[in-house]
Amino acid sequence: MQFLTWLIKRLGFVILTLVAMSMLIFLLVEVMPGDVAQTVLGQSATPESVAALRESMGLDDPLPVRYGRWAGGFIQGDLGESLYMRGVQINTIFWRKVGHSVILALTALLFYVPLSIFFGVLAGVKAGKLTDSIISFFGLATMALPEFVSGILLITLFSVKLSILPITSVIPIGQSLWGNLHILILPALSITFVMFGYVSRMQRSSMVTVMNSDYIRAATLKGMPRGYVIFRHALRNALLPTITIIGMNMGWLFGGLIVVETLFGFPGLGSLTLSAIKTRDIPLIEACVLFITAIFVFSTFLTDMLYVYLNPRIRFKGGDA
Amino acid sequence: MKDFLTMLKRSPAAIIGISILLLWILIAIFGPSISPYTYTAMDMENQMTAPGQGGHLLGTDSLGRDVLTRIMYGSRTILTIALMTSLFSSIAGIIIGFSAGYFGGNIDTIFLRVMDIVMAIPPLVLSMVVLGILGDSSILSLTIIVSIAYTPATARVARGALLSCKGFEYVDAARIRGENHLYIMFVEILPNTIGPVLVEITARFAYSIMMIASLGFLGVGLQPPTPDWGMMVIENKSIIREAPWTVLYPSLAIASLVIAISLFSDFVNKVMVNDK
Amino acid sequence: MKKLMLTSLVLVFLLSAAGLFAGGEAEAVEDKMIIKVAEQVPNLITPGVWDGQAFSLNPSIYDYLIEMDANTGELIPALATEWTTDDGIVWTFKLRKGVRFHDGTDFTAEDVKFTLERTQDPALGHLKAQDFSVVEKIETPDPYTVVITLKEALPTFMYAMTDYNMAVLSSEYDYGTYGESAPMGTGAFKMEQLIPKESALLSKNESYWQPGLPKADELQIYFVADIDASVSLLEAGEVDIVPQISPTIKTRLEGLGGFKVVSPYQESRFIAMAQDREPFDDNLVRLAFKYAVDPEILAKACQGTLGETIYYNETPIVNALAQYKEIPNRGQDIDKARELLAEAGYPDGLTVDFYYGSDHPYGTEIAQTLKELTAPAGFELDLKGFPRDIYLSQYWMNAPMSLTGWGVRVDPSMLLSLAFYSKGPWNESHMNDPEVDDLIDKIKGEVDDAKRQSYYDRLQEAFFERGTTLNLQVPYLVGLSENVKDYRQPVTMISQLKYAEIE
Repeated sequence: MQFLTWLIKRLGFVILTLVAMSMLIFLLVEVMPGDVAQTVLGQSATPESVAALRESMGLDDPLPVRYGRWAGGFIQGDLGESLYMRGVQINTIFWRKVGHSVILALTALLFYVPLSIFFGVLAGVKAGKLTDSIISFFGLATMALPEFVSGILLITLFSVKLSILPITSVIPIGQSLWGNLHILILPALSITFVMFGYVSRMQRSSMVTVMNSDYIRAATLKGMPRGYVIFRHALRNALLPTITIIGMNMGWLFGGLIVVETLFGFPGLGSLTLSAIKTRDIPLIEACVLFITAIFVFSTFLTDMLYVYLNPRIRFKGGDA
Repeated sequence: MKDFLTMLKRSPAAIIGISILLLWILIAIFGPSISPYTYTAMDMENQMTAPGQGGHLLGTDSLGRDVLTRIMYGSRTILTIALMTSLFSSIAGIIIGFSAGYFGGNIDTIFLRVMDIVMAIPPLVLSMVVLGILGDSSILSLTIIVSIAYTPATARVARGALLSCKGFEYVDAARIRGENHLYIMFVEILPNTIGPVLVEITARFAYSIMMIASLGFLGVGLQPPTPDWGMMVIENKSIIREAPWTVLYPSLAIASLVIAISLFSDFVNKVMVNDK
Repeated sequence: MKKLMLTSLVLVFLLSAAGLFAGGEAEAVEDKMIIKVAEQVPNLITPGVWDGQAFSLNPSIYDYLIEMDANTGELIPALATEWTTDDGIVWTFKLRKGVRFHDGTDFTAEDVKFTLERTQDPALGHLKAQDFSVVEKIETPDPYTVVITLKEALPTFMYAMTDYNMAVLSSEYDYGTYGESAPMGTGAFKMEQLIPKESALLSKNESYWQPGLPKADELQIYFVADIDASVSLLEAGEVDIVPQISPTIKTRLEGLGGFKVVSPYQESRFIAMAQDREPFDDNLVRLAFKYAVDPEILAKACQGTLGETIYYNETPIVNALAQYKEIPNRGQDIDKARELLAEAGYPDGLTVDFYYGSDHPYGTEIAQTLKELTAPAGFELDLKGFPRDIYLSQYWMNAPMSLTGWGVRVDPSMLLSLAFYSKGPWNESHMNDPEVDDLIDKIKGEVDDAKRQSYYDRLQEAFFERGTTLNLQVPYLVGLSENVKDYRQPVTMISQLKYAEIE
């Protein structure tokens, strides 16, 4: 019962966040300088054609009306029409790109989760030794690099020097991403670089805490094999904070995709967002940013749920858990 | 201070970090005046010259501009903006976070909710949208927007730091003395939360550098010919095969600076927070 | 834990292996001749509102009334089989019979009428609105004849039909709704699949009016945001044609072997100094700027050589045209520039905002070089670079100083009345010079070649004396894989991929 109340509260807050965010995004984009109709028609437009377009796009309606129209469409799954590519429904391009980005994000997840958990555990077990220092330094260094820097280093090595992986991630016409999974490798590795630092450091520190806890010490004193203690007892408990970090970072990861996708020309949500911003395609900007926000909000929510599920001792006080 | 030095001696990573950071600061201050070139000077006899040739230690770009000189000038821009953003966002964060934590109750709840909402949009996306639509970025607009994007995060940290001190006797003592709220917050509590706050400022410094470099890379940062490191990378990416140094050296500059600051910030964290 | 590690490792390997094998998948298709192009992302692709970037897409889907022969530069019949005029006022176009649109409808005079009348639709903002405002009336005495009456004599009117925005559209098709998602014309290729911002797949139009064409069965166009990404696809053998490459990439491709680079024509980069506002309203300042520029350095910054691959002059007429008048460059003279600036009232120099498209070829190079070159003379250019579409839609035409790419107009009078006539719609430098206006009027109406040339000569002198523009001619370069034969693109900028084949 307590859990249900908590769940409803959290869900309510998720919806509240999304509504507030949508207003914020709408306002932010609307108050920006530059006449939308002018942008669409270009400099050769006559004042009459600009006025006609404003009229037909309903740009002269008051702000709340326009927000209502936009948000209403959104709820019904209508993302609106692109400004830049007139007549093109955003829905027709948006979900395809989102799909690509999700696959990229999952591939990256597949790369960095085992890697960073493994090295995090290793560093935690060997805390204070040279192995630990090397892993920790490496983690700190990769975490600090912006994605495009690690990406450039990867491109220089794998594409320019060795010529084994493509610089550009283009899906051949008539094929899907599934048949071209190799284009995912370099972008996913660039993300891995950054995430490895966060996750392995978190894993290390929680491992250290657990290893120093009384029951692990007791288990070791009882003469249980070290490997058994680590894998059977310590890891299970030490994974909890790591899972939280991975979940919390999903939203961040989608933001970080912008840089990676731009570097590799990957046809995903990130490069779509940047091109929307560069062409001032307002409906598309709104759709992209709101979607990135939604990913963040939902992944935080799911992480919270997972955390509660894995750790039943948690008390449901609400507020900032 | 003595503690600090002893700790430093035991931490080689921190020594490396601080040395690199000091080196970059020295480069930023003195580098440009040592260089025989300016960051826009075009040596048309030496376009895309390899490092070490024609008097260009790190080579030249497609316009014959000295890469080393541009990196040195660029360190000025990026350090200035990053320092300002980390300071501004920390100051704003402290004011907002302290007020919320200090007064508690509804103010605090509203604060938390609003911050949660604002933090749902990644800072890079927020800055990109605003800068991209405004179009014309300057050092000032970049500083203001990145500071705003970072403020929710710093405010949460500041609030947390304040809450950890709120119950202490000296706070009650000051209240009984009849000191006003501002005095209690900033004269009594702030010095006692200096640890986490300093950690936050240094960490924010590293984030700011990443962010500014990324914005430059995405093409919504400063205008050329400003030698912005991120912009140098994207500008020269098309000649990465002919002149890899034009891309690699700015990337390494970003990498070394961010890693150095991270090592430093890690150390500050150890000294100020963990070992108390 | 070990299991987790192992499973993940296996997955990673599988993924990589799957990827590597998938690379070979594309080659296994049957013997279709496929031409693959990588080029910039187009925005609007419907003719008329199209800014010229959809270079391979549109000319493949649509046809024009008149084409230009890429080799000889002569006008050749396309959808119009002949065109005649007696006085330059009444023009008769005879149309080709038996031509069908991709949707199966017949091409008739009504479609031409629709295409021409569409230029005057105020809601559309057609880019050729000005050029075709001289049309008085359009008559269609029979389904294959169009008679156009102009308001004034225009001996070069037929050239307007070769413009890239004058693709012939169907009068029965709803371009407002489908123009961007399902474009349809009479062209050599039909649109099969269009994924916005990603790619387009076009197939051979089996009933194309020109026998034996198109040579290819399929045309695949990838929309790639940056040029270096496109080139990496070319190098990897994933595409065959990449337009608008830079001279640096040209050198690289030629060094690699297996590729060739063609330069079908030159483009202009106009550096416009707005005459209607400070500081360039004063000709002394314009002259000072001209004296501050060293064209040789500019050419080098564009990775070229002045007089060989890059040309520079102070008039808008490119040296490839017969109307061009050779005027020696004035040469860089910083002292003179400073003197002129002082005389104009700026002894301490001045600051000007300089707008340009930062992602347009040669854009940042020219902008940064100009800033550096003119600084010693006292000019401080404040560079304002924007993505090209934003630059064109929001800043261009309203800037004290700007850099814009211009395609060559076969008939220079078209360009002059567009961009340098006081009332021209694209008068970016806001030129307002009675003598130039008068000369442009005379040129347009003059039938006698020698007389017209004398007006052109005088016009170019006037530009040298007090013009508002600097003209840097840069090569338009197309990178091709070696097995591409017969790539054609005349100075009209319209690529004719129907002739191209892969060996």
